[in-house]
Amino acid sequence: MFGITRETGMTKRSTPSLTGRIFGAVLGGLLAAVPATLHAESVLTVGMTAGDIPLTTGNPDQGFEGFRFVGYNLYDSLALWDLSERDKPSDIKPGLATEWQVDPNNYRRWILKLRQSVKWHDGCPFTADDVLWNFARVTDKDAPQFFTQQMALSRTYVTNFESVEKIDDNTVAITTKVVESLFPYSMSYLLMVSRCRAEALKYDWAAYANAPSGTGPYRFDRMVAHERLELTPNKDYWDPKRVPKHDRLVLIPMPEAATRAAALMTGQVNFIEAPAPDTIDRLKSAGMQIVTNKYPHNWPYTLNFVRGPMTDIRVRRAANYALNRAEFVELLNGLAIEEYATMPPGTPYYGNPVRYEYNPEKAKALLKEAGCMPCKLTIAISTSGSGQMQPLPMNELFKSQMEAVGFQIDFKVMDWNSLVEIGRSGVPKYPEIDGYNGSRALLDPLSALIKPVWKIHWSPAGSNWGHFYDPEIEALVGQILNDFDAEKRLTELTKLHELENDRALMIWVVHDLNPRALSPKLTGFVQAQNWFQDLTPIVVHP
Amino acid sequence: MIKYIFRRLLYAIPIAFGVSVVCFSLVYLAPGDPLQTILPSDASADTIAMVKAAYGFDRPIPIQFLKWLGRVLVGDFGESIATRRPVLLEVSGAMSNTATLVMFAVPLSFSLGYVMGAIAGCFPGRMLDRAITGTAVMGVSVPNYWLGIVLVIIFAVEMMALPATGMGANGSTAFSVFRWSDDRFLVLPVITLSMVPIGIIARTTRAAVAEVLNQDFVTTLRAKGLSEFAVVRHVLKNALPQVLAVMGLQFGYLIGGSILVETVFTWPGSGFLLSKAIINRDVPVLQGTILALSMVFVATNLLVDLLQSMIDPRIRRS
Amino acid sequence: MAQSPMAQTMSQTAILDRSPAEGDEQVAPALKVRGYWASVFYRLRYDPVTMFFGAIVLLIVLAAIFAPWLAPFDPYRESIIGRLKPFGWKSHLLGTDELGRDLLSRLLYGGRVSLLMGVVPVCIATVVGGGLGIVGGFAGKSVNTAIMRTMDVFYAFPSVLLAVAISGAMGGGIGNGMIALSLVFTPAMCRVAETATAQVKSLDFVEAARATGAGTLTILRHHILGNVLGPVFIYASTLVSVGILLASGLSFLGLGVRPPTADWGLMLSTLRQSIYVNPVICALPGAAIFVTSICFNLVSDGIRAAMDVRM
Repeated sequence: MFGITRETGMTKRSTPSLTGRIFGAVLGGLLAAVPATLHAESVLTVGMTAGDIPLTTGNPDQGFEGFRFVGYNLYDSLALWDLSERDKPSDIKPGLATEWQVDPNNYRRWILKLRQSVKWHDGCPFTADDVLWNFARVTDKDAPQFFTQQMALSRTYVTNFESVEKIDDNTVAITTKVVESLFPYSMSYLLMVSRCRAEALKYDWAAYANAPSGTGPYRFDRMVAHERLELTPNKDYWDPKRVPKHDRLVLIPMPEAATRAAALMTGQVNFIEAPAPDTIDRLKSAGMQIVTNKYPHNWPYTLNFVRGPMTDIRVRRAANYALNRAEFVELLNGLAIEEYATMPPGTPYYGNPVRYEYNPEKAKALLKEAGCMPCKLTIAISTSGSGQMQPLPMNELFKSQMEAVGFQIDFKVMDWNSLVEIGRSGVPKYPEIDGYNGSRALLDPLSALIKPVWKIHWSPAGSNWGHFYDPEIEALVGQILNDFDAEKRLTELTKLHELENDRALMIWVVHDLNPRALSPKLTGFVQAQNWFQDLTPIVVHP
Repeated sequence: MIKYIFRRLLYAIPIAFGVSVVCFSLVYLAPGDPLQTILPSDASADTIAMVKAAYGFDRPIPIQFLKWLGRVLVGDFGESIATRRPVLLEVSGAMSNTATLVMFAVPLSFSLGYVMGAIAGCFPGRMLDRAITGTAVMGVSVPNYWLGIVLVIIFAVEMMALPATGMGANGSTAFSVFRWSDDRFLVLPVITLSMVPIGIIARTTRAAVAEVLNQDFVTTLRAKGLSEFAVVRHVLKNALPQVLAVMGLQFGYLIGGSILVETVFTWPGSGFLLSKAIINRDVPVLQGTILALSMVFVATNLLVDLLQSMIDPRIRRS
Repeated sequence: MAQSPMAQTMSQTAILDRSPAEGDEQVAPALKVRGYWASVFYRLRYDPVTMFFGAIVLLIVLAAIFAPWLAPFDPYRESIIGRLKPFGWKSHLLGTDELGRDLLSRLLYGGRVSLLMGVVPVCIATVVGGGLGIVGGFAGKSVNTAIMRTMDVFYAFPSVLLAVAISGAMGGGIGNGMIALSLVFTPAMCRVAETATAQVKSLDFVEAARATGAGTLTILRHHILGNVLGPVFIYASTLVSVGILLASGLSFLGLGVRPPTADWGLMLSTLRQSIYVNPVICALPGAAIFVTSICFNLVSDGIRAAMDVRM
């Protein structure tokens, strides 16, 4: 009708008579209880919270969920995250680079040894030249492979990147702009794509999106735009332990939590992200496995340090004492843990921060002392989003608890992308906003602790949204970045965490517990303490 | 007659132009930056400027409109900001999926509505009339997305008889109407979508039939000795033009207004594409979708007008 | 003096007082209209269905207006312990929602928003669209063409699409939603008014009035308006239920009011996740929309029958 071709089905055509249809309807209804797959293969079908299929052209969009399901499946980066354990915090491990160390003569230079005998999905070998080519793809405007979209998506991870050079076929050296001891973490977010495939397609990135080639544990099989992405195992993956144990991975975007739950219960999918807390009991009674684990996630209010009530530390502390975090956990049906500082407990640099236990009297006293009565706040929130959990009911609860001690909250509600825009532009563009409620990924110490307090990251240049500055903290940050001794750095990071907590840098509420629901037919999934997860060990039983 | 067709076609052109202006200007009513869908939250200002220039957002608005119109007329709707796929491809794919839904909803609702309305109109005031009118009113008054949710709960989750979401077991490109495993996905959305058109068409038909029945020529026909069945046939034929106008409008409603149903059932049609484009502020897709949908509606109205005037030459819009 | 045939056909039992006195135009239309309206009410009084549903509409409207006095609880007060409780729990007649707020109170307050978003756009469209239509129908060729073609452009969009597009483009919210719906309804009202005006204008009595030296405004006020108001009012009444449904649809998509404001469409959307915990509670806002919409529909049907106007 509109010139779109349809693939013919695998089954034979049935005569479309009316009685046949009716019979089919009845029978189909009876047979529908069986998950409708005619393949003999085992299929892992995932319902993602993303609104669309993440980009396949390298670094994905759709936030970290894009990395979780597409980025790290099709591709590898120089460093990878260790996702094999449940009970230990997750850290980086060798990926396409087997080892790295800083040049003792030049602390801005990192020497990386590359992994040998790695092949791209298209068969070409992985070489040092590919690494140079990939960096140029996102930083060098004059390179033929330069891709604006990828530059935009990768820019924040190459802020400190200056140049890369090939030392020999197995070694490259990366030079940073300033000394940064935590640089290897940034290397874990830059995915490597195949130069062979890109050149074969003459840099037509739209075509490449439908025929991507990486080094990752999955290969691209098929994509129906906006609906599903199908990946199959890469049997030649360089880490044989991570060759997928199922025959096919199907990814389906399902932004509505109720839809995800329904799809899981009807058998259309067998793995869903973030089920709504109120559906948990029903899912359990339908036999689904609910898995949770703490992970470096933050659900806070990031504050304005330029103007407004939040410039006063007493008001910030009052806000933290005003919250009854137990009620939030109850609202979320137990799928969160109380948050009193940036990192979740159990993180290596957690230390001994102040616990702002629920104390409305103390909060009122602090507000009185600060002379802020009533204390008016304008807060920006979103209706949904990656890591935002259940923002609307949670914020309504926040408002009622804050107002009980003397605050007056006015919400600016918007969609996720608009909130992200506010987060990116910062207080110079939005001085009237006292705080915004955006989830934070705390995977590496740089993103978790340093960027929000570092002066050179003052928005819009970086992620220090509220222009926070404290001389003691600034000095500590400088120390950390120049310190290459891991143990000493750990002590310093711990001190930084405690200092930030003491200064009531943010209003802390809860840490997400990363709930997922799996069909009883799935075994082998290990939920790491990470925003990313390894799907490869999952076995799908018939 | 030909002159009328020609005049009517000519008249559609300024409408189409006006529609395109409205479409284009809609998207600039809004606050918010279309680039935020591809930029991470901590991108710096010069990154934004660079990407903006690359995508062409730094020109003044009237220039943008003229360039856009020029491209549209040769079929180039630009590329989606989010996916870099041509908008034409996105929109045509989505519209053909909506067309699949409409392909089933139209015969179902139009025929059922017409039959119900005709029966009710032929027996005004009796129990049958009241029952049918009551059902029609309910169909018109129910929020169809709510109905959709309820149907999903009953038939998908509780009875596990039908799927809850999506189009086809292997996605929309593999969808085949000849396979029951794919057709299962149609059942609930089509029923939900048909409720309102059934109601409206039934009511309109009933009113039209009742009105025609009161006219003199019906008495004449009966006096002539024609069987009641033949009389009814005449009546229905005379009632048709009015009903056709409404059917045309309902067709437009089905094509353009399926957004709520498609959202509930995650049906990858044009309504769903539109709602995603609004959320993502994907400007080219937004413009392309609205333009395509309203053009279909304009074309439908044009067709209905022509059909009407062919059936009943007394009707000629100036 | 000629009389509007529309008034004549409208009612066969109307008592039509005609003042034959010359230049007595001030009196004649008023009596005409009263007689016509009297016959309308006469018909309505003997239509039990319409009266019954009209009473329900009145109840709904009154409940919405007096919500602050009728609501047993504060619709914004949450209680995390008392989430999603069933009917009758701790004197919450209709249970509680996903944040522990009393559902009955929220339904009452939600009625205000939903009715407002349904009625206000219709009123605006009636005034603006009706006004434009009357001007267009009366003024003749070029003005008429200009107005009607502009309206045709907006008429070219399916209503849901236009409402969503405008509201979505402007960023949602109750104000933008009302603007969007007004823009959706105005072309239709304009068309109805224009058709009716054009019909009346061409009739003899208008020419006769002009011949006696009546000014344009007088003609408009006394002849046109009275006869156009009928069809316009009927059409407006059918639009109210459409408005309520469209407004709830916008809220459902997230383009309407913002939480924690109570609104039926928004409540449907937020309660959707909780449907497995307490399905009946989650169906209530939908039932409220459904009942209100049906009642308005039936009442407008009844009024139309009583006024016996062909559209």
